[in-house]
Amino acid sequence: MTALSEVLQGGIVQNVLLGAAMLGAISGMLGAFAVLRRQSLLGDTLSHAALPGVCLGFLVAGGRDLGSVLIGAFVTGTLAALSVMLITRRTTLKTDAALGIVLSVSFAIGIVLVTVIQGQAGSGNLGLMTFIFGQAAAILRADLWIIGGVGLAALALVLIFWKEFKIVSFDAEFARAQGLPVAAIEAGLTVMVALAIVVGLQLVGVVLMVALLIAPAAAARQWTASLGAMVTLSALIGAASGAAGALISATTRGLATGPVVVLVATGVVLVSLLVAPGRGLVWQVLSSRRARARISDGRVLATLKGLATTHRDADYPAERGMLQAALGARPPGPRLTGLERRGLIRRVAHPPETTAHWELTEAGHAEADALSGKPEGRGQEDAS
Amino acid sequence: MRDEILHEPEQALHIEDLTVTYGALPALWDIDLDIPPGVMCAIVGPNGSGKTTLLKAALGLVRPVAGHVRFLGRPVSGMRGRIGYVPQRHSVDWDFPTTVRDVVTMGLYRRIGWFRRPGADARNRTIEALREVGMQDYADRQISQLSGGQQQRVFIARALVQDAPVLILDEPMAGVDATTESVIIALLKRLRDEGRTVIVVHHDLTTVQAYFDWMVMLNVRIIAQGPVADVYNAENLRAAYGRQLAMISGADLGTAP
Repeated sequence: MTALSEVLQGGIVQNVLLGAAMLGAISGMLGAFAVLRRQSLLGDTLSHAALPGVCLGFLVAGGRDLGSVLIGAFVTGTLAALSVMLITRRTTLKTDAALGIVLSVSFAIGIVLVTVIQGQAGSGNLGLMTFIFGQAAAILRADLWIIGGVGLAALALVLIFWKEFKIVSFDAEFARAQGLPVAAIEAGLTVMVALAIVVGLQLVGVVLMVALLIAPAAAARQWTASLGAMVTLSALIGAASGAAGALISATTRGLATGPVVVLVATGVVLVSLLVAPGRGLVWQVLSSRRARARISDGRVLATLKGLATTHRDADYPAERGMLQAALGARPPGPRLTGLERRGLIRRVAHPPETTAHWELTEAGHAEADALSGKPEGRGQEDAS
Repeated sequence: MRDEILHEPEQALHIEDLTVTYGALPALWDIDLDIPPGVMCAIVGPNGSGKTTLLKAALGLVRPVAGHVRFLGRPVSGMRGRIGYVPQRHSVDWDFPTTVRDVVTMGLYRRIGWFRRPGADARNRTIEALREVGMQDYADRQISQLSGGQQQRVFIARALVQDAPVLILDEPMAGVDATTESVIIALLKRLRDEGRTVIVVHHDLTTVQAYFDWMVMLNVRIIAQGPVADVYNAENLRAAYGRQLAMISGADLGTAP
């Protein structure tokens, strides 16, 4: 990173990179908990609800002062979270409706305030728009101290309350039955997510902030199997996305940072969803192909034989899906046509079903008997 | 244990005058209940009869509008960390990134206390609890790779690791196959024979006599309670289930007239 910033030669670029990386790391770390607790959409509501607070901060401070902006955003974000809680508890509305209402109302108030401030004379409104779509270049050296402070505080809290955060994220009901103060722990986690959103606003903006919470966590989950690794990797992915997005937008005139950061983070998610070992789509396709390759002619015959025996019907017609369920993978078409060509099985119709069915021929029965003793499909799920 | 005045200490679970309301409707009405130690007790009742609410009120997860609960003479707050709660399996996300060992250790978090990490003692207890449910070979397995019956046994191990004299299970047999069900029942019977009290919300009337030695029939209020042999009869079942009984008439009504 030092080499890179020397190439780019500039304190501003250094500030921006460092700030963006720190913001991404904070969001990634806390976003992991938000995603695991299924609170991603609360994050979206909080970030939109931060806009009126940002405007109030501008009005009170008479300009872009990060301290008052952050306090304002935090206050209105907290109000929004409380409103969602009250609406879901006191009315018949469900959580998604409550989130949607609070999100849109807060954002509407925010936009009204933005227009009011912009209508005022003077330079008090400079930089307000950067909070809607984010502008990494607006990060000042003084801001880095605030961002760094929030980041260190969040990291310390996560380390200190690690096992409490873990048990509440996994099974809050059990934690309550143990006598842990679950409401306080959950409130603490939500407040930390609100903090992450508030400090991340100037990088990504209120509209797209939620992506910086969700995307690193979703990508990290694909690659890891423990909570510690997931939170760490999520923070790293957040930091990398933040830095890359900030760099691209800072070196290109007039490009808002938020969308670029979000596109970078989403790219990481896409790659992770595709190729992560064990969970990625490509990996799953490959492993199911391997499983299909392991389906031998003998196992297909044995399965058909087994079904015929169970049904006491030598001509029992089995669907391909049934073979798939018995064998653990879909038998490849060529394997079935191959068996058909050898005269061991034949395709039959089984009205009213319109799908292809297969039954053993005389030769097929003989062949299956000759092969008997071989394993017959997948064993029962272990239950001992 | 601290000094305190014990109320009904000879009962594993003692509930008196317990009433819980959801809105204006009573979910539980005037529950008086005693479950002696060392029994395996089924709580049965039709849908909406308040079985799960009863468990949650006993555990202090639902606030009653009246009444009190005692475990071995103590309020639940005085037992915290030692009442083994096994929630419904589907209440958590089994894709959570963690291992079997980790989930079982969660049963010790309260005992370990704030600001401290699980140590060697916690590791030993965890493995011991896993051994007790026959899952010691799965300690480092991802929980997403477990079958339904294995998930259930991990949850039971998480309750056992607390060294709990009373185990409370919410429909442990829901959604598991017959083999797994018999494995879980054998496990619960063994825990009972070790002297623990096992309290199970159960939905299958046909197996009550085979599995349990004590039962509570519930339909918002207590219909009957006591040894299964005394309580399981047509009269009580009709009182608890009313018209729904027609659907479960396949149940063996035992000594019923």
